[in-house]
Amino acid sequence: MKFLLARQAAVVAALALLPAAGEAIYFRDKISWRSAIAPSEMVTVEHAREWGDTAIWVDARPDDEFANDHVPGAISLNEDRWNELLPQFLAVWAPGKKIIVYCSSLSCNASREVARRLRKEAQLSDVFVLEGGWEAWLKKNR
Amino acid sequence: MNETSNVQRPTLNVESSASVTTSTIKNQKSYIFWRILDFVLAGIFIFAGLSKILDLDRLIADLQQLQFASALADLRNLSLASPAEFASGIDNFKIVPWPISVALAFYLPWLEILCALALVFRFLYRGALAILSASIVVFTLATIAAKVRGLDITCGCFGHASQHWSFPAHLATNLAILTGLVVLWFGAAARERRAD
Repeated sequence: MKFLLARQAAVVAALALLPAAGEAIYFRDKISWRSAIAPSEMVTVEHAREWGDTAIWVDARPDDEFANDHVPGAISLNEDRWNELLPQFLAVWAPGKKIIVYCSSLSCNASREVARRLRKEAQLSDVFVLEGGWEAWLKKNR
Repeated sequence: MNETSNVQRPTLNVESSASVTTSTIKNQKSYIFWRILDFVLAGIFIFAGLSKILDLDRLIADLQQLQFASALADLRNLSLASPAEFASGIDNFKIVPWPISVALAFYLPWLEILCALALVFRFLYRGALAILSASIVVFTLATIAAKVRGLDITCGCFGHASQHWSFPAHLATNLAILTGLVVLWFGAAARERRAD
């Protein structure tokens, strides 16, 4: 009985590999297997600084962390108050401006998620995630 | 004596036939119950799988607002969802490295759909039940572990529909599905006993 159960589970698991492999081949150029963010969507602190006034900084961290300290001129736009903060951000944004989103560190996900929503929901292009986040910015500006 | 015996025979037959009919009705009711449960759980897993493979955001939004004409138009314009989003959802748990998250993002939705179809067609039934039960248990434990570690996870279990669910909502949904699967296990075991 246990053998039958294991064999049935193995067959189902193996069958699922086929369409999954097909999908992986279809998306082979659209997803990076090395990093969660495609290299073209990331920007280093040095590179971001070179953009100067042509870029808008977006702080994706929670309100209290933003209130504590943030990149000068940055606008707060986090997922907790997305509907409230997005109009404030759009009022500042202008076509052609690059958007640099950051969260607390290399391992945080908020910047990635805010960048994704800006691209998808607000239909904005030129949205980048700051490599290393706030921690990296602090290190380069101490 | 013979007369009495002859008179009683048809009565016994009627009783026995009535008992067979009652038992058949009971079996039919029981069969309908198990099939409904099979289909409900299969529906949940098919929706969960499809919401990761297809971009259903607009369709769901229109259905929530009861805009059926727009929903039909959305159905015609369905496109594939980016697996990067579900991979990010898995990566948020910080349990497996990114390449494994990507592989799981391609694999898990199809596994959910195939297991659901196995429930519908009762083919490889117990194997599919075992996989679904194990995956729900693993996902529930991963959700609890993420909460304990203070990770802010966005659940991709039902695509964007479940993205802003609270932790208790995650747990309640998982436990409800797991309960349904356990009930199906009992049903499958009872059917096997009857077949033996």
